[in-house]
Amino acid sequence: MRSVRLSPYLFIAPFLLVFAAFGVYPLIYALQLSFMRWRGAGAARWVGLDNYLYLLTSPEFWASLGNSAVMWLLIVPIQIVAGLGGAVLLANAKLKLRGLFRVAFIAPFVTPLVAMAQVWIVVFDQDYGLINYALNLVGLPDVGWLTSTVWSKPTLALLFLWKTTGFAIIILLAGLQAVPGAVYEAAALDGASRWRQFWSITVPLVRRSMAFLVVVQTLAVFQMFAEPYVVTEGGPYGSTTTAGLYLYEHITASDLGTGAANSFLLVLLVFGLSLVSVRLLRPKDEVS
Amino acid sequence: MSLSPIDRRGFLKGALGIGALAATGGALTACAPGTGPGAQPSRLAKPTVSASSAKGEITIWNRSGDLFKVFDAAIAKFREAYPGVTVNHQAVDIDAKLANTLISGTDVPDGSFWDDAKIGGQAEHLFDLTDLIAPYRDQTSPYKLSVNTVEGRIYGVPWDLDPGLLWYREDVLEQAGVDPAGLATYDDLLAAARTIKEKDPKTRPIHLEKTPFLGQLWLEMLANQQGTSLADARGELRLDSPEYRRIFGWIQDAVKDGLVTHAPYLEPADVNTLDSGQQVFVPWAIWWSFAPQQLLKATTGKWRAAPLPAWTPGGARSGAMGGSSFVIPAKAKNPELAWLLYEFLCFKEPGYTAVYGPNDVYPGGLSTSIPSYQPALDPAKPLFQPIEALGGQDLWKVAVDAAATIPAAAPIPWWWAQSVDYLGDNLQRLMDGTMSPDQVIADSSEKIQRNLIDRS
Repeated sequence: MRSVRLSPYLFIAPFLLVFAAFGVYPLIYALQLSFMRWRGAGAARWVGLDNYLYLLTSPEFWASLGNSAVMWLLIVPIQIVAGLGGAVLLANAKLKLRGLFRVAFIAPFVTPLVAMAQVWIVVFDQDYGLINYALNLVGLPDVGWLTSTVWSKPTLALLFLWKTTGFAIIILLAGLQAVPGAVYEAAALDGASRWRQFWSITVPLVRRSMAFLVVVQTLAVFQMFAEPYVVTEGGPYGSTTTAGLYLYEHITASDLGTGAANSFLLVLLVFGLSLVSVRLLRPKDEVS
Repeated sequence: MSLSPIDRRGFLKGALGIGALAATGGALTACAPGTGPGAQPSRLAKPTVSASSAKGEITIWNRSGDLFKVFDAAIAKFREAYPGVTVNHQAVDIDAKLANTLISGTDVPDGSFWDDAKIGGQAEHLFDLTDLIAPYRDQTSPYKLSVNTVEGRIYGVPWDLDPGLLWYREDVLEQAGVDPAGLATYDDLLAAARTIKEKDPKTRPIHLEKTPFLGQLWLEMLANQQGTSLADARGELRLDSPEYRRIFGWIQDAVKDGLVTHAPYLEPADVNTLDSGQQVFVPWAIWWSFAPQQLLKATTGKWRAAPLPAWTPGGARSGAMGGSSFVIPAKAKNPELAWLLYEFLCFKEPGYTAVYGPNDVYPGGLSTSIPSYQPALDPAKPLFQPIEALGGQDLWKVAVDAAATIPAAAPIPWWWAQSVDYLGDNLQRLMDGTMSPDQVIADSSEKIQRNLIDRS
């Protein structure tokens, strides 16, 4: 009879207990809650799939996903390109003041978001903001950066980009530094231009880092909450009510069952998007 | 130390057992909704202790800012009357924290200041104060009682009353030959605005609110003035009514005629157009009195307050806009002591006088609202002084007279704050001229019904 020793399990028991209490249990609890109507007090009612059906047939739910999808389009592709550009720049040993640039790129990432959101509100104010002041100086009219449905999403996306592109640069820089210098030397000897080296060496060899970044930022964009909450409160006219903010609205409305169902739908969506991203950005050697 | 090995099958069986237990336990615990103490509203009984024997500590949440300092001083008065009670008075972002705290049930304060509009949504988490308020009921504003009532029970200690008033530029009206006493109806107001605009085409005399929440609060003031509100006593929507159509039609006319300044409440764009003379009329709650006192540097002293115009000749000349009350969470540790504090502040003369009367923060008294307890509303015994920034006008008398005409209302439904996403937004579209009254009513009604009422 094969036997197992108890001691290894005892060693991992503290982690398992904590994980079960704060990881597994809330998950199971939330899943159960997603099939109930409960306002945080009083009697809960089992409603089966009603919360899910309500969400899946709700224009507001799809609008929130649509807002997040537009945000994703405004953020992730730009961030990958900008992040890669920044990483290539910082990886260049000939760059002067490289340390200063690294600090400058990472500073927004470590700055409290709420503080920066307040700056955004002031700078992009329609009547007294710095940006419109500059536009007026060159004869252009005021733009409702935070008050028009057309501009509110790009303005919030810009805040998100400003805040997190430093993180993207770090990830891609790490990927870039793992590329052996000999590969570039060999390419140079073969007569490959800098541009050719970038497309044929840099981009393929940092694909794994790019895939990681896409997955992480997809998660972040679909969970985006603080930016619209502080800057636009989801407005104007719900144009910046992201999936994360829409979910929160159920919680503040004490509609906890719908909030839980919304969470699980988001999990499924983000999981699917992440899988697609990983597959599309998988290095070619793995594909073969 | 060596531990004895166990066989794999035994381990798996044990693990399965623990897993099953955990799953069952989890399922049982997850059934907690409905089995906890919140299943029935908790009724708070009158404390039996005397002022001198009341002992303990309470944590009270309040808004930050000047009002916090005012309440701090009033709490010092309370402690003179109840020396055994220690009050841990905290400035908190109540809108962001209180609802979540009530739901999670952790670090719950013993009492909190809260918007009337939000109390109905969390009544299950609050003490039922009906029995405690009973002795004061007949002398409290019917409007405040009704907005604190859910299914016949009272969940908030009624605090301030915020009568709507018509704020106007006395000098501009004089130059245009408009008699403020003649502004008896909203049609009169439109006519006066047209007259002023004819004299000075740059003016857009009437303020319309640009933030959805305040816009909807303002709409409810105009509805309350006509004795109606978004929902009736049974919680059924009554947006599609002659009263609301009258308001929306009036807004549409004002917008079409170019008579409005659509600006967010006292933000720079608003302040600038108020001070420049572009805005002349601001139908708003008494708390707008803050503007000429603190913000309007160029026009301070030129503003005056009057009762709101009526919607129909002889109709009510005011409605309530906003207001707050005090709530005692069902999970408070010392709810009786919290009640003693709120009873002192709301219903005892030294309490409400300490808040509204002259104090270190407001030397002339707090003039942004009036008490909802009617014995405090004696026109001959003003709690706050005439206001220099209103040309020495006796705002107390104007406000108390207007408050007396405020009709009772239906309870504010739990979903009121959430309905701003629909009605508040659509009201903005009406003010922008991109929606008609019919569209506002149809679209808002459908969304509120589907997303809020039907999901109750």
